[in-house]
Amino acid sequence: MRPENYQAINQPPSNEFELNFGPNHPGIEGNYAFRVRLNGDVVTAAKADAGYLHRGFEKLMEGRLWIQNIALVPRICVPDPVPMEVCYSLAIEELCGLEVPERAQWIRVMQLEMSRLAAHLFAFGGHAATTGMYTPSFWGVADRDLILDRFEELTGGRVYSIYNIPGGVRREVPEGFLGRMSNLLDYLESRLPDYDNLFFTNQVFIRRARDVGTMTQEQALKWGVTGPPLRATGLEFDVRRDDPYLVYDQIDFDIPTEPGGDALSRNLVRRSELQQSIRILRQVIVRLPALKGPVRCPIPNPLAWNVPAGESYARVESSKGELGYYVVSTGGDKPYRVHVRGPSSMHAVQVLEKLAIGARLEDVAQIMFSLDACPPEVDR
Amino acid sequence: MSKELNLWLDKLLSDIESVKVKRKSSRRIRIDVESEALPALLELLQGHASYVHLSAISCVDWIDEDEFELVYHLWSYETNSLVSAHTRIAREPGIYLSIYDLYEPAAFFERDIHEMFGVYFEGSPDMEKFILTEWDGPPPMRKEFDSEAFVNQTFEWENYRPQWLKDIEEEGGGITTRPEDVR
Repeated sequence: MRPENYQAINQPPSNEFELNFGPNHPGIEGNYAFRVRLNGDVVTAAKADAGYLHRGFEKLMEGRLWIQNIALVPRICVPDPVPMEVCYSLAIEELCGLEVPERAQWIRVMQLEMSRLAAHLFAFGGHAATTGMYTPSFWGVADRDLILDRFEELTGGRVYSIYNIPGGVRREVPEGFLGRMSNLLDYLESRLPDYDNLFFTNQVFIRRARDVGTMTQEQALKWGVTGPPLRATGLEFDVRRDDPYLVYDQIDFDIPTEPGGDALSRNLVRRSELQQSIRILRQVIVRLPALKGPVRCPIPNPLAWNVPAGESYARVESSKGELGYYVVSTGGDKPYRVHVRGPSSMHAVQVLEKLAIGARLEDVAQIMFSLDACPPEVDR
Repeated sequence: MSKELNLWLDKLLSDIESVKVKRKSSRRIRIDVESEALPALLELLQGHASYVHLSAISCVDWIDEDEFELVYHLWSYETNSLVSAHTRIAREPGIYLSIYDLYEPAAFFERDIHEMFGVYFEGSPDMEKFILTEWDGPPPMRKEFDSEAFVNQTFEWENYRPQWLKDIEEEGGGITTRPEDVR
């Protein structure tokens, strides 16, 4: 922000002072600023300041072909890009009435859970760093890299795979991939006790994170909280089970919850979700070889594809919460309007501003990382 | 969604005039409503039909009809169904009521729509600029704003064909670009 645009948070004059977190700060996720007003080291007012990552995705999408946008959408969330592709594809499939082959649906579930694992490994490593523990973040990123290796083998891309298209997925699964995936899952599962010893049962972490950024279930529902932060207040809700898409209604998995509603509970929910994602991926590995057939249904020439007029709202459970795509078509070769409901856009602005009040300065970064706020989803 | 609740919801909605209900699937309901009746409808859906979660507010600019369409996506944790309430407001002056007193998440979406489309929501707690702090042009998501024309007016295209490359090309090498592709 230019200095002439700077405005102090509207508060009566006092001996309090104001501090800028970000836009480039190790206690902030991504390019995002957070201004806090402090009395001693207690936060009395807080204001989120976004816009450092605005790339105008929604406007860009209106000027590109339906198929070109597949390369654009994963950029909206860097750590967890696959749900973006799948959700956008689901919305178009609803508009066109496309029947996605079952094999492709299982492959999509596999990618979604791989992406969730990768994002959670990233998320708790980041939280650990805010409490002064750097080893978990190195371990998390190193193990995430092994998942990215599998993404590279499956899709050709490590971070942005651009592997889903409306109607299915681009290519068949490579030979021997499922075996290597199975080995990776065995390895990741063997690492979970190590993570517990290092981080999740570590007294340094537990004492720092307990009762930090606490919200009750009523508050969470009122503020529109979704995903792991909502489940950490004890509500057993997951879009995958309660508004099922793809083949999640055929898959056996639990929805972990925690009663506390604080930063500790949110991380413990993510810890349990690692286990559940591994469980889902094991079911995919068992099921996928038995399913024969194509990996995508026939679609018109993608470069001259007029999607029928209409509107649809698709929802997917991403690692950060509920992701929604509202797509409007007027029958042209480009979308008329695409609105992205970023999973953590609510967490990063309104919830964070509320939870920060009364917290101590050193806990603000913990609150932000425990909510797993993702600034590109706010700016879009 | 249980059948009794379906019937009950239909009865509830039949009490409001000018409401059109369309079931798109077992968990998706579309409601079209006049802009005057929308706050009353949302109050009913929240208070009597457990639609407590505002998933999103989407705005669509229908420039040919001179209208903005506002879509309120509401989710019920009890009946596991999504209601999309559609309403249309005039493009000028583009003023509508805030639903912040019903749904707190609305503040974020209304601020975003105000910034991107220029729709003012009366009663919303914060209509300050958020993402486009340095922007003083028209609201960019409106259909009349042409971003490519804006770029051409504001910035100069970098010359990607310097003299040394042209020299190489004259000798038959370099990057082959057809003249009509050069901007």
